[in-house]
Amino acid sequence: MKISNLLEKDFHLVEKKKIFFLIPVAIVVVTAVFMLIYGLVLGSPVNLGMDFTGGYSIDITLGTKLTDENRAVYEKQINEIFADLSDENGESYGLKVSSIQRQGEAEKTSLHVLYNAAGDERLMDEVINPALQEKIQSAIFKIVPSASKETSGSGSKIVLSYNFSLAVDSTFTEVRKAIRASLGEENVDSIERSEDSRTLTVITNSAVSDETLTALVEAATIDDRFSGLVSPGNTTSASFSAELLWSALAAILASVVLMLVYIAFRFELTSGLSAIIALFHDILIMFCFMVIFRIEINSTFIAAMITILGYSINNTIIIFDRVRENNKSLYASGSTATFIANKSVSETLLRSINTSITTLLTIGMVAILGVHDIKIFALPIIIGLLAGTYSSICISPAIWASWKDRKKKNKTSEPKKELEKATAV
Amino acid sequence: MKKKSSIVKLSIIGVVLIIGIVLSFCSFDIGLTTYKSFASSISLGLDLKGGVYAVYEAVDDNTANLDERMEGTRTMLLNLLVQKGYTEATIVKEGTTRLRVEVPDVDNPSEIFDIIGKPASIRFVLDSSNEQVITGEHIVSAEAGYTTQDGYVVQLSLNSEGADKFYEATSNHVNEYMSIYVQVQGEEEQRISQATISTAIAGGRAVINGMGSYEAAKNLADQIMSGTFEVRLALMDSSTVSPTLGEQALFYGLLAGIIGLALVIVFLCVIYRMLGVAASVSLMVYAVLMLFFLAVLPGVQLTLPGIAGIILSLGMAVDANVIIYERMKFEYRNGKSIMASSYAGFRRATMAIIDSNVTTIIAGIMLFIFGTGSIKGFAITLLLGIVLSLFTSMLVSRLLVRCFVNINSTNPKLYGFKRGKGFENVDADKTDVTVQRKMDEEEALKEEKRRAKKNKDKNAGGLAHENI
Repeated sequence: MKISNLLEKDFHLVEKKKIFFLIPVAIVVVTAVFMLIYGLVLGSPVNLGMDFTGGYSIDITLGTKLTDENRAVYEKQINEIFADLSDENGESYGLKVSSIQRQGEAEKTSLHVLYNAAGDERLMDEVINPALQEKIQSAIFKIVPSASKETSGSGSKIVLSYNFSLAVDSTFTEVRKAIRASLGEENVDSIERSEDSRTLTVITNSAVSDETLTALVEAATIDDRFSGLVSPGNTTSASFSAELLWSALAAILASVVLMLVYIAFRFELTSGLSAIIALFHDILIMFCFMVIFRIEINSTFIAAMITILGYSINNTIIIFDRVRENNKSLYASGSTATFIANKSVSETLLRSINTSITTLLTIGMVAILGVHDIKIFALPIIIGLLAGTYSSICISPAIWASWKDRKKKNKTSEPKKELEKATAV
Repeated sequence: MKKKSSIVKLSIIGVVLIIGIVLSFCSFDIGLTTYKSFASSISLGLDLKGGVYAVYEAVDDNTANLDERMEGTRTMLLNLLVQKGYTEATIVKEGTTRLRVEVPDVDNPSEIFDIIGKPASIRFVLDSSNEQVITGEHIVSAEAGYTTQDGYVVQLSLNSEGADKFYEATSNHVNEYMSIYVQVQGEEEQRISQATISTAIAGGRAVINGMGSYEAAKNLADQIMSGTFEVRLALMDSSTVSPTLGEQALFYGLLAGIIGLALVIVFLCVIYRMLGVAASVSLMVYAVLMLFFLAVLPGVQLTLPGIAGIILSLGMAVDANVIIYERMKFEYRNGKSIMASSYAGFRRATMAIIDSNVTTIIAGIMLFIFGTGSIKGFAITLLLGIVLSLFTSMLVSRLLVRCFVNINSTNPKLYGFKRGKGFENVDADKTDVTVQRKMDEEEALKEEKRRAKKNKDKNAGGLAHENI
């Protein structure tokens, strides 16, 4: 079937409303079940982010060692340390880094790490935070050489360069010992220190594989645990306070009420109510999505909800505009609201599809290319867009039509009612 | 004739757009000054560009209800920062005795954190009895101001208890002296003002006059405000901080925006052909104007929610075009000529577009009024975006489409138009003559009205002149 023929086809969408209403209800029921399960198993029905719950922070002072180039390496390492931290039984605490910010300048440059709480305050203060501090202190502050390898004769020549002077003999001896142990005593011909003590040249008598080289770099890494400082983990309150939440809710409520008034004024009260129902449907579905897939809900989710609030209304209005127009035209005066709603939905179907595609293209790119936090922001918007398209086609026109048709029916049976009333009096 | 002027119009729009794009993205040197592109002059929020942070520690010996008082102090500090224009500032409590403040990109970090650096306590004392009338705890806000009578002043608003006390004291001691003492933390207490009470002062407002300059007034107001905090704070540490969303957030966000916009343009051009081209040009106009206004409007700071506002309004700008073009296709399918369809498309889609945009504008205004911080930022970009989207879709697109149709109104393939059942053999420009006449008539009517109004204004002006 050609796309343009969509417009002439009547899908009888309003008549299928039972199915259409059932789908969101089913999603909500499933979500409720999920919330129950999550609540029992994981302890929290909803994955609230640190913006709402607060958590802990640690400052890792790296000083000038932290550069633009190696920042990603440090961040990866930190993320791993947090994720891997486990109790004596080897069970992970489930710590998760929420954000890593660089702060300060020069000697005082540090990484400000925010992470969630993984137990009660006592467990955090007495076990987890000290363990974290120790682990980061020993893992992060190291001097890792960069290595290059070339073949020389039957063996290899490996050059290890340090961003640090090995002038102290005891350090040099220790590193030399570690290198010999790593490569095997019998394989090493010589280890020489350069004039500025910043590079070591290792000559081996047999070829060195890449894996061996990696192991060598690890062995030749110098422990430098006192070169920086890790602050003890500290509680951090939620940045999105109750007041902010209330002001956001007040703003949303005020906009909904005023939009309802405007739509009732420009269209009909029934159109306004159906549009608002569709709006709540969209936001509810977004929330369900976040709950089911246990995506972190942060303050950005509030911005996402508000975005959908604007989009959803816009979507519904376009269809009701067509309803209004078809309603006015003479031949429609005798037809049912169901017929008008069906016709209007079909006529605007291509617009609904094309607009959704174009909006999905932009926000989809944001979801694909964005960094983690932006992805978390874009995903619910995508779900909201889909829900908004669904509700504007399948839900709000159907609600409007059934309300209208019922009213009409009541009107025709009204005289009878009045008669009954009269006799009752 | 029409054809020629349409081509001229199109070229003008093209040239203007290209200049706009260049101004948006390219910075260059002109003589001694450097021109900064719109895109690079947009001020970015804490989440995208970072800013400065400061950590304050409570230095009170009093530990009673510390949690509660810290919470109160946090709220007051946030209010103070918002009042200073740092609407996106965030404050979190670290541990039990520290507050960590982050504010977006500012030029002089030390200046803003100095506010809290030197809290001052203030008291109003009656000279005759040495009786203390009001102190810092009665003060709700302190602001620097200027009055013609007193020059630079600090205006204090008092809470109800303070207002009552102040009224009582001033009404009972008319013609006596009252002094204002200020003690900056770590310094000696100073009498900064002594004045005669000339009349009873009601309404809960007090003024400290005799400030030498606006700077001095502002400084004292800040010190008084931080003196009202329930917990004494001392600055422990302050420096710059990287974006909360990570360093790459902005780059990939921009990349996503550009690729997304490009994909939308391709999609529109494939589906709507020349109409899609018109929509694409107007979308680019939208993008350039958006960047321009984000750069020049004061107090606009772009954050992630703000970007959401832009995406939403961009979606609505595209939507407006789609609505119009679908309407045109619909009209053509039902037998109208190309020119008539384009005419009817714009006219009939206007109502739908305006209604849908007005509802979103309502939401935007409510969010602006009631929202705080980033929600306000969202509201600003959304409102700006909607106004621009209305402008580009209703005016720029319309002008472009009219020019295209004037150049070619015989080939429906150019516009992706197809005839519906029963109209297969109707010529594409069948009714053009009548439509053209109708359009011309309408135009003439408009012109006449305009002229009539102008004349009326002129007459009214003349009349007013005579009266003088």
